[in-house]
Amino acid sequence: MNGKLYWKQKLPVIFLNFLCMTALAIFLWVTGNSFDSIFLILLIWAVILTAYLVMSYYTRKVQIEKLLKLAEQLEERYLLSEVMEKPERADDQVYYRLLKLAGKSMLEQVNEVRRERTEYKEYVEQWVHEIKTPITAMKLLCENNHSQVTKELLVELEKVNCYIEQALYYARSEHTEKDYSVREIRLFDVVHQSIAENKYLLLKNGVGIDLQETDDTVYSDEKWLCFILNQLIVNSVKYRTEQPILKFYIERQGNQVILCVQDNGIGIDADDLQRIFEKGFTGKNGRKALQNATGIGLYLCRRLCDKLGIGICADSKGSGTILQLIFHINDFIQRVQG
Amino acid sequence: MKYRILIIEDDVVIQTQLRNLLAGNGYEPEVINDFPVSLEQLKSFQPHLILLDIKLPGSDGFSVCSQIRTFSNVPIIFVTSCNTDMDELNSIMLGGDAFLTKPYNTAILLAKTASLLRKAYPVTGQEILSCHGVALHLESSKIEYEGRQTDLTKNELKILYYLFKHTGTICARADIMEYLWDNQLYVDDNALSVNIGRIRDKLSAIGVNDFIKTKHRQGYTI
Repeated sequence: MNGKLYWKQKLPVIFLNFLCMTALAIFLWVTGNSFDSIFLILLIWAVILTAYLVMSYYTRKVQIEKLLKLAEQLEERYLLSEVMEKPERADDQVYYRLLKLAGKSMLEQVNEVRRERTEYKEYVEQWVHEIKTPITAMKLLCENNHSQVTKELLVELEKVNCYIEQALYYARSEHTEKDYSVREIRLFDVVHQSIAENKYLLLKNGVGIDLQETDDTVYSDEKWLCFILNQLIVNSVKYRTEQPILKFYIERQGNQVILCVQDNGIGIDADDLQRIFEKGFTGKNGRKALQNATGIGLYLCRRLCDKLGIGICADSKGSGTILQLIFHINDFIQRVQG
Repeated sequence: MKYRILIIEDDVVIQTQLRNLLAGNGYEPEVINDFPVSLEQLKSFQPHLILLDIKLPGSDGFSVCSQIRTFSNVPIIFVTSCNTDMDELNSIMLGGDAFLTKPYNTAILLAKTASLLRKAYPVTGQEILSCHGVALHLESSKIEYEGRQTDLTKNELKILYYLFKHTGTICARADIMEYLWDNQLYVDDNALSVNIGRIRDKLSAIGVNDFIKTKHRQGYTI
């Protein structure tokens, strides 16, 4: 509470008292009282008044500071009116009511938006599941009727599926708590799965695959990891050079297992490197490669990695890029649940 | 003997295409067209394996699965577009043997099918393919001609297996590569040529010459 302002607002009271004191002094003087007794009366008046003013200042200050502290401790501050005590002063009670009203209407708004969001998210998920049936049908049709055209179509279908997965995981990345299950997985099983999901894209672009297969296992969610690897593979193919090669290998550093995805593509500029995981960032590559870079893929990867407690980082020296997924072995499960 | 596979799936296109795919890979597929699924029909068909969709009109795949489990231990593969963990967990709890999400990779579907069938109905004796007197031993990864044998690498075995399975037809290089990729052998164009060269050397060492013929611009045939 601003003390200066408080006292300034108390000035009329002090002034009024001063006025009354003057009037009383004149009255007492006229009725023939001695100077000493008038002085004593005025002194007592002044002491009582000062004591009252100081006390009311401090009680008010304590009250207000308690409220401020309560608000600071609250995680959702808009719930303050639900937590605080009902004030006793008449004008405070009015403010209290106003606060309650404001809080209530905001809660209604928040709930409305939240409900809409959840509904929309559920709709996206449902939509994704429904769209997968015709995609499966198309894929089966293509694979049962092998020809040059259907092969091209299969590449496009893989792309469609990739974008659809993006939408699904984007919707899911907001409420992740219930959507993943952590279990022990063999990293290279997931790598194989990702390659299989992008088989036609990789074959069409003549991408060589170099696996240094090991049996390292980590605790993570297989589907999410597969999605992340898919994004990395699609990126590598997008920004490839002649004779593209995609290399997967595992490095161990202390209690970290690092899955590295290395390509010999056009690389990433040092200036851009810091920002590639930002939402909507496309950088020089996104613009010059004439690809429709959306700046969503890596952003989503980072988000999902954060939720899963996986570290993700990119490195590029002129040409070629290495993306690393860093798994912590010891404290991994605590970190996910925490 | 052909394995009978029952497809329980309500999407007609997927149904037909799955049937074609399975028939083309040496199985005897059958589809169920009446929903909700009647157990009588299911029993009368006596499948060796069931492909089961989760979302079905009338009832869901989970209840069908638990009904089947009351009288049979036939391997069940769940195929679904809902890839939530709850579904996967449910399918395993109710006795499903595998869980595939749409759009599935046909190679993975076929591989799962084959491995489940092998596990459920063990075949005795070694699997041997032969063509023009040349025998391919799958288990021991050897090729034999008139008593002479030689070892094959994993790549060579898979290439030969593919050629043996398609005797008489021309196998495009791209198709062979695709097949190898399905088996997690990521061979590129050059490596395929090298492997074919090595196979020819090995074959001539055991006395078979001109076994794999190159069809210019088309592929290989035996």
